[in-house]
Amino acid sequence: MTIIDTSSNIGAVAPPPLAAGSMVASLKDISKTYYMGALSVEVLHGVSLDFYSGDYISIMGPSGCGKSTLMNILGCLDQPTSGKYFLGSEDTSEMEDDELSTIRGARLGFIFQSYNLIQQLDVLENIEMPLFYQGYTEAESHEIAMGLAARVGLEDRVDHKPFELSGGQQQRVAIARALAVDPLIILADEPTGNLDSKSGAEILNLFDELHTQGKTLLMVTHSDELAERSKREIKLMDGRVESDE
Amino acid sequence: MNDFTLDGVDNPAVLLTRSNARSNFNITRLKKITHVGVKSIFSHGLRSMLTVLGIVIGVAAVIAMLAVSEGASFEAQQQFRELGATNILLKSVKPAEVEESTQRGFGPPQAVVYGLTQADIETIRNTIPGVSNVIASRIVKKNVWNLGLSMNTDVVGTSVDYPSSRNYNIRAGRFFSESEVRDHANVVVLSDEVAGALFPIDNPLSQSIKIDSDYYNIVGIMESEGFSNLGQNQAGSSNSAPTRIFIPFTSSKSRFGETTTRQTAGGMESETVELHEAIIQVEDQETVIEVGEIIDQILQRRHRDVDYAIEIPLALLRQAEASALRDQIVAGAIAGISLLVGGIGIMNIMLASVTERTREIGIRRALGAKKKDIIAQFLIEAVILSGVGGLIGVVLGIIIPFIISTFWGMTTIVTPIAPILAFSISAMIGVIFGIYPSMRAADMDPVEALRHE
Repeated sequence: MTIIDTSSNIGAVAPPPLAAGSMVASLKDISKTYYMGALSVEVLHGVSLDFYSGDYISIMGPSGCGKSTLMNILGCLDQPTSGKYFLGSEDTSEMEDDELSTIRGARLGFIFQSYNLIQQLDVLENIEMPLFYQGYTEAESHEIAMGLAARVGLEDRVDHKPFELSGGQQQRVAIARALAVDPLIILADEPTGNLDSKSGAEILNLFDELHTQGKTLLMVTHSDELAERSKREIKLMDGRVESDE
Repeated sequence: MNDFTLDGVDNPAVLLTRSNARSNFNITRLKKITHVGVKSIFSHGLRSMLTVLGIVIGVAAVIAMLAVSEGASFEAQQQFRELGATNILLKSVKPAEVEESTQRGFGPPQAVVYGLTQADIETIRNTIPGVSNVIASRIVKKNVWNLGLSMNTDVVGTSVDYPSSRNYNIRAGRFFSESEVRDHANVVVLSDEVAGALFPIDNPLSQSIKIDSDYYNIVGIMESEGFSNLGQNQAGSSNSAPTRIFIPFTSSKSRFGETTTRQTAGGMESETVELHEAIIQVEDQETVIEVGEIIDQILQRRHRDVDYAIEIPLALLRQAEASALRDQIVAGAIAGISLLVGGIGIMNIMLASVTERTREIGIRRALGAKKKDIIAQFLIEAVILSGVGGLIGVVLGIIIPFIISTFWGMTTIVTPIAPILAFSISAMIGVIFGIYPSMRAADMDPVEALRHE
């Protein structure tokens, strides 16, 4: 048994920069049904969406509308029951677990409501983590992580542990981490949900900045304020796209 | 806008080349994973220490027990070599009944006659095939004098073959000769210890010592014999080898006679013993035990009382070996059980750690960790735990035998194989008992894991 495998690092480096407006992800008639014994619940009913490079998207909707499920599918953490999901040009619907892991690490950036930093690791190590799983050398990932720490304004905190930072700072570490592999899409789940308004505003300013730099951002939120700032609002209702503008 | 082809973005050929270029960083990855493992172990210092304790005790026990039993079997073999592989030892022993009757009796002391006789020896020499030589000795306790210095020693009257029969070498001078035996000569060979005690300054060679009223010329000094007490103790004799001196058999017989009298608490005690001990040399090591049995049978027929003891070093060695093997099996079982317990401890802690770090597992999976990355991480952690335990165990396992040797005087031998074996087993235990928790960690659903509080 090989404990450590580096043989299949597809997407070991970020893809070449995309022309603004080209398609980065596409959901085609996605359905998701959960089975609990004899009971089955269809959470998504044929969702089709296309996302383009440089998009700044918010997905809104009441609880239970299928936002989280959609987010999990977009994040390749879960597979649709039917339909196809293209990330870049790759069809993820038929992928094996290892391939999904790789594509998550190489093509996606995650930002969570509760930051989800690893407590034993310091700021720099947290930012480096996705790079590690993509097989970057220590020197490469150190350089990238240092650059990103500076970009989110934490260059003087790189050796701090997450619990030594404020919520806003932790979320900025998480953003730096999400940017590490230069992903196709950054997926943010209620990114300001745990933050006070001041830190939340800082994070949103950072998002705006990323948007102007051409990053593709997609966030799930309850907050109208956040949705306002995005350039494209998608409303989900009962597992269907209600509006997309 | 609707064009879905992204030329060159995800060209598989390009990706493949990149991945090949990055496939040589196993060491870096291992280092990183190990680093993370060490961090997480240290973040639960006390818990990790207690976990490791089981392995420490197991490994230390393996090494220490092997060292003790190895030492014991080495000692037994050493004694066996000194007594000789092809020898059978015979000793005269005062029979129990006789001892009682002399103690109860009144009136003038009566000489007790017991023990091996010249006739026994002749019978053995002439009737048993495979016997190459018999060296008979008389041992009389005497005070030996060099001017004002005296010492109570065993005066051994024996034949010229005595040294070679016991792998006992001359240090200086020579042993007495065949012709000196024939002539009942007054010559003596001292043991190293006696020579040192009676002649603390000058060279004893060609000087003389006085036994009773006779003077004996010192012709040789034996090497120090060390501690070969196995034979003496087993035969129930109190004679200890170091304080022996050697004179020709014939001289002993004519100067001291066969009856000795000594003062005891209850009065005078007198006994007549023709021969005190005999070494029977057998031609072939394979037949030693058999010949020993035949001799025993012959002596049983010839003696009414059991007034002799027979002792076969080879048989004693076999016994020692058998008991050493038994010890090793017991030691192995105990060590095995403690290692098993240690392994279960590690598994227990790893399972707790997996549950505790469910969220971390979810995060890592989301950020691109494959199942095998997660397995590697937890497995390495388990191996680090058991490996560190194993190392501490090895150190303790080497120190403990040293302490045993120093304070209890037991011979202990740490063979290199024991620490290596024990350490490899402990590392293996880390792998075996780490596999299940690691698999559990890897098989978690990333979505569930991320939701875990």
